[in-house]
Amino acid sequence: MGARILVVDDELQIRKLLKVTLQAHGFSLLESATGSDGVVCVGMERPDLVVLDLGLPDMDGTEVLRQIREWSQVPVIVLSVRDNEAQTVAVLDSGADDYITKPFGMGELVARIRVALRHAAHAPGEPVITVGDVTIDLARRLVEKDGQTIHLTPIEYDLLKAMAVNAGRVMTHHQLVRQVWGDQNYDAAAHYLRVYIGHLRKKVENDPTRPTLIITEPGIGYRLLDFS
Amino acid sequence: MQISRFLQGTSRSRHGWLPYLATTLAIGVLTILLLRVGLSFQLANIALLFLLPVLFSAARWGFGPSIYAAAVGVVAFDYFFVPPIFSFSVSDLRYLISFAVFLSVAILTATLALRLRMQVNESRQREADTAALYDLSRQMTARGDLTGILEAIVTHVYGTLRLPAWIALPADGDRMSISARAGQPPHDDGVDETICRWVYVHGDTAGRGTGRCEHTDQIYVPLKTEDVVRGVLVLDVRGQTGALLAERLRLIEAFAGLSAVSIARIQLEKEAHMARLSAESERLRTALLDSISHELRTPLAGIIGSVTGMIENEAMLTAEDRRDLLYTIRDSAMRMNRLVTNLLGMVRLESGMLSLHKRACDVSDMLGVALRQVQDSLQHRTVEVNLQGDLPPLRVDDVLIEQVLVNILSNAVKYSTDNSRIEIGAAERDGTAILTVADEGIGIPEGDEERIFDKFYRAEGAKKIPGTGLGLAICRGIVEAHGGGIAAERRASRGVRIVIRLPVD
Repeated sequence: MGARILVVDDELQIRKLLKVTLQAHGFSLLESATGSDGVVCVGMERPDLVVLDLGLPDMDGTEVLRQIREWSQVPVIVLSVRDNEAQTVAVLDSGADDYITKPFGMGELVARIRVALRHAAHAPGEPVITVGDVTIDLARRLVEKDGQTIHLTPIEYDLLKAMAVNAGRVMTHHQLVRQVWGDQNYDAAAHYLRVYIGHLRKKVENDPTRPTLIITEPGIGYRLLDFS
Repeated sequence: MQISRFLQGTSRSRHGWLPYLATTLAIGVLTILLLRVGLSFQLANIALLFLLPVLFSAARWGFGPSIYAAAVGVVAFDYFFVPPIFSFSVSDLRYLISFAVFLSVAILTATLALRLRMQVNESRQREADTAALYDLSRQMTARGDLTGILEAIVTHVYGTLRLPAWIALPADGDRMSISARAGQPPHDDGVDETICRWVYVHGDTAGRGTGRCEHTDQIYVPLKTEDVVRGVLVLDVRGQTGALLAERLRLIEAFAGLSAVSIARIQLEKEAHMARLSAESERLRTALLDSISHELRTPLAGIIGSVTGMIENEAMLTAEDRRDLLYTIRDSAMRMNRLVTNLLGMVRLESGMLSLHKRACDVSDMLGVALRQVQDSLQHRTVEVNLQGDLPPLRVDDVLIEQVLVNILSNAVKYSTDNSRIEIGAAERDGTAILTVADEGIGIPEGDEERIFDKFYRAEGAKKIPGTGLGLAICRGIVEAHGGGIAAERRASRGVRIVIRLPVD
């Protein structure tokens, strides 16, 4: 029996689609058509993961997430739409694990679900993280690419590490700034973030203009791709 | 002019005692001169000479002084020159005939002079009126907007007539609203809206001196062209005499006529513009419907066809057929998604709902995202990226600029053949970031460099390749919202180069 996934979406077609395809991937599915029903269902059924549509008729998706987060740390993946980046960032900053933009490909959604489930399982902080041809040895603070050691400044290393321990998950600008620069003025730090992402890409990407490891999520943040 | 200036004197000193004094003096001088030298003259000649002061005063000062001159002249002539000299005698009564002649000359001359003077005055007034009207019309042609024209009218009317003036135009519903005013009447009771309305509806003048609504201190003149009343000119005529008012009314009406024509010109211009706009939007709607119905139905046909085929002929399809159909469904759906994205973008741009979330962004980053989005279709193209090393960050809405880049890159792929090259460049020059995307595709016909950015416009050679004509229009909308510009250049070899300019700040 695979993980239990609760789908909260008012569109019957989307629920049906997710049910069929996710069941085919070995998950078992629960469904709610409204936000309030979804909150209750999280309490009653204790799913392993929630797929939450942001455009529910009865409640704002942000509110559904807030009510779930009051007592549950269940991973939540939100379904957003384009041109709604501000709300997406808001739910990510208030505790959603990841997002996917409608219309989405099923492979992409399954990958997000797997990453979220793995992080939720609190896999003991693996000391060595490998993304593509880059290896990050957290115990030794060592980063290698194709076996060659890459020299990173302390901030570059912190930034890469923040993304690496969340590999596969989107990190919003706010989350990265908080983790790397702490309580510094956000606007100034957001500027540093952009600059340091550029520096990191020059060191770890094969072609910095067409990055394959550190991916920009427009209007949201960055994602270190997880190849596992 | 000499004559008119000479005659002008009459009106100025019509009621003074000076003409009489001058006449007396003139006759006195004439008498003394004649006494000194003229005793040798014949009586008839002397009598004729005494006509001179009569003529002069008649022409210059009118009836009173000329009759006086005739009387004094006859008395002086009789007393000093008719024998017995220095005395009046009964026989002198025959000189009453001379007096009658003098008198006739005086009256006739004075009448002629008066008529001439009136004509001069009238033509002078007409000349002033014409000049004022000409001035107004010249000022009004110089103004292209309604407010400007109304201002010009009231200012000019006030300046010419020294009467405070308003112009009321019809407002919403049955109301009239003051659209322009000049001059401050001593007691500003404002404009009587009822009279205003009446004048507007009936197209007749009303107010003081017009026989209608005499109780008000204002005069209401319709601004009328043919049968349409465009508005009402209101003048404050407090303290003006009836005669003066009647005299001015003609000019006021001329002003009103001229103003009406100008207002009509602006209003008709506006109507023509609206008609043009609505024709244009009608054309766009038709184009939109044609384009969308085609662009939406084509992929839908692909999806519905493939799906029904799979449902109905499930057993007959090989695994390969099935995969082909599934790819058709996926590609059709993606095409529809692109269309919907572009349509929404267009609607947002058109409705002014596009809000820019600007933040500092790296060109290379945005380019990377865009390239990633179109990476599947770029598989059979050689992409060459050429970025200036020290490009400054741009303050832009990265999501939107990426949409621009994706649209342009998609076009570069769509209109070129497999294995052709796409060159992407970015550089900064004088505070402007210049992004270029050059392809080796079918290019654009000469003269179409601007038009390809128009909504729904598709170049002749492009029409056989599916598309809505929305992509580049959206690009232009987004880039211009950022204060930048976008242009297309025909490449010397083949294909097209799209150049985006964005301000660096």
